Amino acid sequence: MYSNLEKTPRHLLVCEKSNFKNEKSRHGIHVENHYFNYRVSVLIPECGALPAGLSTIGSSFGKYYLVKNLPVYEIVEQQFLDLCVKKGSFYALSYNTRIDQDNSAALIPAGKLILSVDKDTYEELGLEGQQSQYSHKAVMRHIITIDLTDASFAPGTKKYKRVVWALKEKKPLACDFLMAWHPSGEGDFSLSSYFAKYQCKEHTPSVSTKILRDIPSPVIKSGELKGKPEESCDSQEFLDWLGAASADIDCNNEASSFLSTYCCPEPSIVMGQACLWTVTGFLLPEKICMLLEQLRHYFDEPKLAHWTALTVHGFADSPVSWGVAEHGFHKGGENLYNFVIFRNHDYWLQMAVGTQDGCPP
Amino acid sequence: MRRHDTKDPETATYERLVFRNASDYHYMKISLIFEGGNIRLNAAHFKQLIISSLRELYGEIGAALPFDVLKFEENTLSAVLRVYSSALVRLWSALTLLGGYQGQPCGVRVVQVTPFLLALSGNSRELKLD
Repeated sequence: MYSNLEKTPRHLLVCEKSNFKNEKSRHGIHVENHYFNYRVSVLIPECGALPAGLSTIGSSFGKYYLVKNLPVYEIVEQQFLDLCVKKGSFYALSYNTRIDQDNSAALIPAGKLILSVDKDTYEELGLEGQQSQYSHKAVMRHIITIDLTDASFAPGTKKYKRVVWALKEKKPLACDFLMAWHPSGEGDFSLSSYFAKYQCKEHTPSVSTKILRDIPSPVIKSGELKGKPEESCDSQEFLDWLGAASADIDCNNEASSFLSTYCCPEPSIVMGQACLWTVTGFLLPEKICMLLEQLRHYFDEPKLAHWTALTVHGFADSPVSWGVAEHGFHKGGENLYNFVIFRNHDYWLQMAVGTQDGCPP
Repeated sequence: MRRHDTKDPETATYERLVFRNASDYHYMKISLIFEGGNIRLNAAHFKQLIISSLRELYGEIGAALPFDVLKFEENTLSAVLRVYSSALVRLWSALTLLGGYQGQPCGVRVVQVTPFLLALSGNSRELKLD
């Protein structure tokens, strides 16, 4: 009777296991290619206080900027490309724009400007782009990708003139931008002084620490990604449990309870305490790599914990997820990944995406 | 004579699994909003309210739809629900059409819906910098 109502939009979960010391391990590439990160959480079992190394990295996450009502042509101008984009990794993402409704823009460190625009804007802009992969019969969204570092985009070329004219005169696009810059060498360029004529405000990522007490946690073994009955839980069950722990959801319910029957997956053990540390803001992949390295070295000294977890949430309204893979928002905009780091340098990497996303790399 | 080499602790070999629609459940973060007044209700009342809306829309079979209230905050009247993926549409439609509680008009705002519980802890649409 309800067969049509029982369909749900598709979602994908990729679970990988490997070892950090493995030469072919791609853990660094996965982190580096996930450009727009909103929140990073670290869960350390059997830990009552934040380790010193983590709090140092937390304070080094670096500032990011919110520039209000910035015309998009400003980040395409040659002067800006020479001073900033070509001298480091520059990240920019439109703020407060919904990828399923509004026009969104992003600039990734490879020097590519990605505009995700609705049908009317696309026709008015007149720039070459592609239909959104997730269009149905009526194409409502187009993606325009401009490689700003390409030779054909040098100042004076036809392409450069057309792009600047389209963004400046034909259909001026402006939005609030979140931006951050990671220089590749020494430099005295400052985003706040370059964009001083616009409302440019500096922000620092917010950090919070919480100690969880007496929580049941699933038993996991690094070599058993699919789990083993009576011995260890599988990676999906662990990911769900991690969500419950992060959201402070009670895992001690009974099957007969009226409110909730959610329980920790079995087999499980009770953790006396655990440290949940969260950083929120516009976070750069370079800093997340440093954090991952720090967590790898957490087990250099003997610890009670068998594993630690690092979760990274992407921006729901980013036009890309990993690399230049198109990202959309259907019922949700999740594009997150989670590392489970074990004592013996093994790791699990779980990458989860929603409906309007390709399979993670 | 065979030499016994000292073995390094066993390290994991590379393995990759891809799951399509693997999550049996969907999770919803919702907020109950009243038109006015200080209405207080506890988690049990809140669940009963949703069950009555399901009953109104889908009858007794609908009212028997299993869902969990994983978390409920009395101060903000916000909750996290868990429901089987096959029942998501029925629950969501019942929440949409939920109109009142004890004579007071109210509505449910659905803040986030996801098949991954972990995604509820990182919703970038909550970022407010102004």
